[in-house]
Amino acid sequence: MAIVKAEKTPARAAPISESSLIGWMRMHLFSSTFNSILTVISLYIIYITVFGVWKWGVTDAVWVAGNRRECFNISINGACWAGVITWLDNIFYGRYPREDLWRVNLGGLLLFIWMAPLWLPRVKAKVFIGLTTVFLYPFLAGYLFAGGEKGIFMQVMITAAIVCLLGNTTHSIIGLFTGRSLPEFLIRLLGKNAASEKSQRNILLGILVLSFAVVYIWQMGWSVEVVPWTKWGGLFLTLVISGVGIASALPGGIILALGRRSKLPVVRVLSTAFIELFRSVPLITVLFMATTMFPLFMPEGFVLNKLVQVIIAVCLFNACYMAETVRAGLQAIPKGQFEGAHTIGLGYVGTMSLVVMPQALKHMIPNIVGSFIGLLKDTTLVSIIGLFDILGMLRSISRDTPWLGLHKEPLIFGAALFFLICFGMSKYSRHLEVKLSTGNKH
Amino acid sequence: MASMDTQETPAQLASAASSEVIIELDKVNKWYGDFHVLKDIDLVVHKGERIVVCGPSGSGKSTLIRCINHLEEHQAGSIVVDGITLDKNLKHIDHIRTEVGMVFQSFNLFPHLSILENLTLGPIWVRKMPKAEAQETAMKYLERVKIPEQADKYPGQLSGGQQQRVAIARSLCMNPKIMLFDEPTSALDPEMIKEVLDVMVELADTGMTMVVVTHEMGFAKIVADRVIFMDEGDIVEQNEPFEFFGNPQHERTKLFLSQIL
Ligand SMILES: Nc1ncnc2c1ncn2[C@@H]1O[C@H](COP(=O)(O)OP(=O)(O)OP(=O)(O)O)[C@@H](O)[C@H]1O
Ligand SMILES: [Mg+2]
Repeated sequence: MAIVKAEKTPARAAPISESSLIGWMRMHLFSSTFNSILTVISLYIIYITVFGVWKWGVTDAVWVAGNRRECFNISINGACWAGVITWLDNIFYGRYPREDLWRVNLGGLLLFIWMAPLWLPRVKAKVFIGLTTVFLYPFLAGYLFAGGEKGIFMQVMITAAIVCLLGNTTHSIIGLFTGRSLPEFLIRLLGKNAASEKSQRNILLGILVLSFAVVYIWQMGWSVEVVPWTKWGGLFLTLVISGVGIASALPGGIILALGRRSKLPVVRVLSTAFIELFRSVPLITVLFMATTMFPLFMPEGFVLNKLVQVIIAVCLFNACYMAETVRAGLQAIPKGQFEGAHTIGLGYVGTMSLVVMPQALKHMIPNIVGSFIGLLKDTTLVSIIGLFDILGMLRSISRDTPWLGLHKEPLIFGAALFFLICFGMSKYSRHLEVKLSTGNKH
Repeated sequence: MASMDTQETPAQLASAASSEVIIELDKVNKWYGDFHVLKDIDLVVHKGERIVVCGPSGSGKSTLIRCINHLEEHQAGSIVVDGITLDKNLKHIDHIRTEVGMVFQSFNLFPHLSILENLTLGPIWVRKMPKAEAQETAMKYLERVKIPEQADKYPGQLSGGQQQRVAIARSLCMNPKIMLFDEPTSALDPEMIKEVLDVMVELADTGMTMVVVTHEMGFAKIVADRVIFMDEGDIVEQNEPFEFFGNPQHERTKLFLSQIL
């Protein structure tokens, strides 16, 4: 016999714990006498800490003063932010010549302009934009920061970078408004859409060569003063070191990880040995080795400056860590994906770059960003071997005569700065993960 | 099998086999460690011929057809596909793979690409076809497998039967001369098996050379020019389907058929 329900069940209101703040509080904070006592005690502890910090850091704090003594005279119990504020330029730029700060800022701005299209919708060829960021931007920025004579190689690279930047930017603007790519747009502009593919390619090539020539001639008459690396410092130096580290860690890590999985025994053994060597030594040791032992291996008279040595050490170290992250990501890709790629005729390179890596990298985003955050924080170790990165700068405030002994405030400021950057990165990685996983459930 | 009984035209397809040899296996042997998976396999497939391979689990069916496009390496004997000998030469392997399509039990679609991108990946990167043309071809094959409306979805959003049809279309986009199928319907729910088999029957009708590992005996009866029975790494018996099912010769074939029919 069939059992039939005659009437529809009407919807009822959700239990109070689900719907209102009071309900939630009663459920989670005051569910029993003991829990209520715990809640009250915790609230009190939070209150006195936050209140104390607030009083010290904001209400009683001194923002403008000429030296530490003045700070004390104004308020003995408050923070002396005046010291940090006076030193702000040093914290950000180190001893970089003040009249040349625009070069650092311009470098940062260019990086932003270069990368911005990656976040814009409707812009095509994002992989190309990403790759040029890694491989061309450093030359342009490097010259901006360091200045001096340009060798022929630097001139070519700088020109390539500028052409690329201009191209990328116009491409992105066109893409944003029309959804087309730059080549398509140019062809339409010249009214050549009917022309054969080959002549279209020739036209584009011509435009490229022409703009290269123009930019090359223009940049010949343009140069900036030398700023020796010893004047670099502060957050700027930290970001340079960790930026190069981050940009090279991923490609280096991918190469090492693939080397470790290689079928060729020599490649495999070398990669494995390299990775294990660097992973089993602390970064600070690697840094000391780089600055003291590296010169011993170099030919007589060949002197690398300390900054370059440090950057090489940081890159190698992080590439090795990244290699293990990438390897874990690769292992998560099922064998069927390789076979599927092989059966449509893709070779090793095609399989890896079109099928396997994109999937592996997506799985690895949290770990990759985790390594980046670690890298950024580890970079502060260079202050131990005598580079004035941000930590070095923060600590030298306390040795500056007017601010003698001012330790707490600069370090708290530095901590807050690092927190902002690292927390931002980790939030962004969460966002990326969610964005990339939509519409693509397995 | 049951699902094929609903086929309206159970009559056998006309054979498209020509006298031209397209796959030739000569005394092929393969071992996994000490385990002898393929033992002196001799097999000749003619152009347009449709072959169904069956046999108990672990008999080496998958290994056999995976050797044909070198997903597995054989250790002794020779395999010649479309006039090219499979050896250590990577160029030969790559070339053969572009001529031989393969469909797996587990689909192996690329989850990070849309259906259309799955189909155009090979033509664009391997065949160097312009993108627009590749998309056009892809849509043509999606229509042939009857799911053009899914082009912009991702594999994870499709049913198993739809995914398998996409996988078939993906192989066809490379315009292969030979199609290999490794139990294409084994991972599917019964109601989806028919939609995939229908596509395969249509494909057979176009004269494609096909080597199909399957236990769908109804499909074998309609499509196959020849049924091959494997057991423990040997080709134990081969015959045209009517004889094979109606009058099996070997004891092991009889035992196998009694279990599966
Ligand atoms: N990579 C491998 N390493 C070791 N042994 C393997 C490997 N692949 C398959 N084998 C073994 O080889 C034998 C044949 O495998 P194969 O996959 O060809 O069988 P099959 O006939 O396709 O079986 P099924 O119907 O279960 O798919 C099996 O006994 C299997 O255990
Ligand atoms: Mg099998």
